[in-house]
Amino acid sequence: MAVASASDPSPMQVLADFGKSKSLRTLLRVLILCFIAGAAVSSRLFSVIRFESIIHEFDPWFNFRATKYLIANGFYDFWDWFDDRTWHPLGRVTGGTLYPGLMVTSGAIYHALRALTIPVDIRNICVLLAPAFSGLTAFAAYLLTNEMTTNTSAGLLAAAFMGITPGYISRSVAGSYDNEAIAIFLLVFTFYLWIKALKLGSVLWGALCALFYGYMVASWGGYAFITCLVPLHSFVLICMGRYSTRLYVSYTTWYALGTLASMQIPFVGFLPVRTSEHMPALGIFGFLQLVAFIYYIRSALSGAQFKAFLFVGLGAVFGLALLALVAMTSAGYIAPWSGRFYSLWDTGYAKIHIPIIASVSEHQPTAWPAFFFDLNMLIWLFPAGVYLCFQDLKDEHVFVVVYALFGSYFAGVMVRLMLTLTPIVCVAAAMASSQLLSTFLSVKSPKVKDPAQEDVTDSLSKKTKQNAGGSLRSANSPYVGVYSFLSKGLVSGIMTIYLLLFVLHCTWVTSNAYSSPSVVLASRMPDGSQHIIDDYREAYQWLRQNTKEDAKIMSWWDYGYQIGGMADRPTLVDNNTWNNTHIATVGKAMSSSEEVSYPIMRQHEVDYVLVVFGGLLGYSGDDINKFLWMVRIAEGIWPDEVSERKFFTPRGEYRVDGEATETMKNSLMYKMSYYNYHTLFPPGQAQDRVRGVRLPDTGPVLNTLDEAFTSENWIIRIYKVKDLDNVGRDHAAAASFDRGHKKKKATKKRGPRALRVD
Amino acid sequence: MRWLPLFLSLALPFGTLAAKKPASPADTFNDFHTKAISTTPVKLADKSYKKLTASPRDYSVAVLLTAMDARFGCQLCREFQPEWDLLAKSWLRGDKNAESRIIFSTLDFSDGRDTFISLSLQTAPVLLFFPPTIGPHAVPGVEGPIRYDFTNGPLLAEQVHAWIARHLPGRPHPAVKRPVNYVAWAVGVVSTLGVAGALAKAGPYILPIVQNRNAWAAISLIGILMFTSGHMFNQIRKVPYVAGDGRGGISYFSSGFQNQLGMETQIIAFIYGLLSFSAIALIMKVPRVADAKKQQVWVLLWSAILFLLYSFLLSIFRIKNGGYPFSLPPFM
Repeated sequence: MAVASASDPSPMQVLADFGKSKSLRTLLRVLILCFIAGAAVSSRLFSVIRFESIIHEFDPWFNFRATKYLIANGFYDFWDWFDDRTWHPLGRVTGGTLYPGLMVTSGAIYHALRALTIPVDIRNICVLLAPAFSGLTAFAAYLLTNEMTTNTSAGLLAAAFMGITPGYISRSVAGSYDNEAIAIFLLVFTFYLWIKALKLGSVLWGALCALFYGYMVASWGGYAFITCLVPLHSFVLICMGRYSTRLYVSYTTWYALGTLASMQIPFVGFLPVRTSEHMPALGIFGFLQLVAFIYYIRSALSGAQFKAFLFVGLGAVFGLALLALVAMTSAGYIAPWSGRFYSLWDTGYAKIHIPIIASVSEHQPTAWPAFFFDLNMLIWLFPAGVYLCFQDLKDEHVFVVVYALFGSYFAGVMVRLMLTLTPIVCVAAAMASSQLLSTFLSVKSPKVKDPAQEDVTDSLSKKTKQNAGGSLRSANSPYVGVYSFLSKGLVSGIMTIYLLLFVLHCTWVTSNAYSSPSVVLASRMPDGSQHIIDDYREAYQWLRQNTKEDAKIMSWWDYGYQIGGMADRPTLVDNNTWNNTHIATVGKAMSSSEEVSYPIMRQHEVDYVLVVFGGLLGYSGDDINKFLWMVRIAEGIWPDEVSERKFFTPRGEYRVDGEATETMKNSLMYKMSYYNYHTLFPPGQAQDRVRGVRLPDTGPVLNTLDEAFTSENWIIRIYKVKDLDNVGRDHAAAASFDRGHKKKKATKKRGPRALRVD
Repeated sequence: MRWLPLFLSLALPFGTLAAKKPASPADTFNDFHTKAISTTPVKLADKSYKKLTASPRDYSVAVLLTAMDARFGCQLCREFQPEWDLLAKSWLRGDKNAESRIIFSTLDFSDGRDTFISLSLQTAPVLLFFPPTIGPHAVPGVEGPIRYDFTNGPLLAEQVHAWIARHLPGRPHPAVKRPVNYVAWAVGVVSTLGVAGALAKAGPYILPIVQNRNAWAAISLIGILMFTSGHMFNQIRKVPYVAGDGRGGISYFSSGFQNQLGMETQIIAFIYGLLSFSAIALIMKVPRVADAKKQQVWVLLWSAILFLLYSFLLSIFRIKNGGYPFSLPPFM
């Protein structure tokens, strides 16, 4: 090609040469990365622009509350924080049962900005933390991809993909102040450092990798993904006969330092040596020592038999170690897989044994539209990228393959783990698309050869075929290049369309599906204008202003964090579902009749009960739709007193209208949801718009609770638990008296009239 | 003189036996317990069912009403029967002196049609538990039998055991002991050794396959395609393979974002696979075609596939997600 450029440079060639200067390329790359980061941040701001700078959903409210506590009380108090305002009356050792990484990160940013005399509200830091870190994630994806290929444009594409793909945006929009907000950056960056350490065999990079691994452990429970993937990668490498001192140095450095770092987190503590999900890392660490020893001996000695003996011995030791692990697990020294992890393998496990895990919507398996929705065209570029990894199949490519396989399995089992799959999809898809583009976008075309030359290449290709035993079949014949401009134009045109469509898709998905704070709901008025439904905050504000500081609120656990964060009132259960029995108690109170529920509520000093009801508005995420889970969880603890079957009609239907079962109609949840609801409608027209059924004309009667507050659209209903009756009657009798009924007891006892004879 | 009370007391049971036709509860229990020792659970018929569950009882009865005959096609009955037998056997073995005073029994529909009718049972299996009505363990207020729910979860002897144990407080609950399956162990050990031996012998022939990069690439890609097209969802939710569209035809795609059909995921996996393959072909194969004309044809072919299939994929996605606004030309 040097000939072509020397003779007569075409305009295209000039342009290409212009980009060849090294410093200019670096400048361009930095600029492009900055733009990508900008795009990543700005595409996450929909909700802030549409609504306001507000914390989203459920868990973020707890993180926000914890961050405020950290800012107010300092690090040491935060570390020792015992929270008596949740899980009443148990309380929660919050400092020892959370991943502090997120709060400490935003606390550090807050103090740094303060030190720079930039006055900023902690809420804004919390809201904008996830978008800010998404820019960093894009950069980490760029670094990771550059380790995989020599083609530098692949890294930029991967950064762009990572920046805007909905699979990652789903958990990192502004306001989604959750652990994943920083954890995905740490995940990708840790993997980058691991690859770097492995490639160089350097202790420095291994230590850096361990450092970021420690940060990751401090931030998100998903760190176990790294804990399992890195040993698995090493194991596959050893099995492929690719043991090297580089592997030894990087793995042992990472494991030793990383485990020490992870044990500094109180919530993790001694888990890395005591639970099964950490055992692969420990096992591979020991295995690697053995392998290293044997390789050392082999280098010192010789003889085929000795070698064979050693390898058999290696296999035997591996098998024995596995047996010992099983024995120690059954003897109880090592905790077996925790429920959440175990349910990833035995997918039916959670549904039978831990309904509380199965009840969470993000723990459901993933249907294919969700993959396409979250990843769009990357989903089919991804296998192509993995295939390309088999071309060279260096150590780092093995990593991509292993990660891809396991990531896609986990993402298929649990919707939530789409998040861990997304980085590798972006990397692999970027490798495929950049190679496609660089093949078809190169200005140079090969010269059409004459038949005589073709024979030569034919024989050449045959030779390479014989040589290449370990390479891909599709790479057997020699590389020629693309001849015609038609081909180049066609393919690059299609790719351009797809890339543009990808951007449109991502923007559309982000704007439509992932930018709702779910605390504030948006709806459209008939004239097309936006109408904001703000019932949640209305109700929480009511609680904050109208109830005692220590009034205990009972609600289903979904709303625990929000009540704690927004209303600042103690709750019985919240989204940190650590105590199944306590949650089942609330479930029992909700699903039993008033006579059973009232003593439970008294025992737990409940002052107010909060339910979410969507019947008026057609809001489907309400408590009646979640009700069966409450029943199931309560049934798990009290199978004699709560029975799911009784909530179904004899024909097996779950109904809330006039045909509902007696148990259903008498349950506290049903009564609280539909209390007085029929009065909103003209007689005979009371309708539940979520279930789409007509309700009976007489609503349920509540004896032990008073309606205290109902929000504008009836989404939140709050009831006050009545105190004991002054005169010592039971509540049913007292309420019946208040309604103007006579005492029934007297008439019954009187008996038949008899003539009095004196 | 001293013998008289003894004689009297000995004669008393005989006297009651002669005087009262229905046997005392204790006798009924002993009667059925001896039966149970030979075969447990006791096989009942209409008559013996009535006798066993007759009202003054100082013992408990657990009856499984089942329909084992192939005519009824009761899959659940056949699945549960071995578990029930296992539970009854291990209970009897663990409680030799019958301290828990419970009789395990089975009533098949073919033997006890009248009982099924009198209980107005529509479905089988049904597990009834009759608590004692008299004696120290009598549960006051419980008249009829208690019914076990077969609706939730797989049927394991342990679960039923826990349920029965709940209704027998203060009495021994011998645990379910599963017999060691020696045959399975033997088969397992022999087959493991066999496979290991075969591998050792055939190693030189298998090794090239195991080390073949193309094979691994194919396996990885198939795995990824399977998982990303919702195979695990099918496994966990046990979705039907195809569904009718209500007009006698077959619908290949279920509407709705959260559900899918078995066939549908296979179509999707196939489309993903073809799209990936065309991308791979364009990257790897096409630039290696030495003949310019041939290469042109290949490029046109693969681009056409790439374009058409993606457009088709988008059109399928619009079925699943009604509001999806994007589409590409041929399948608008």
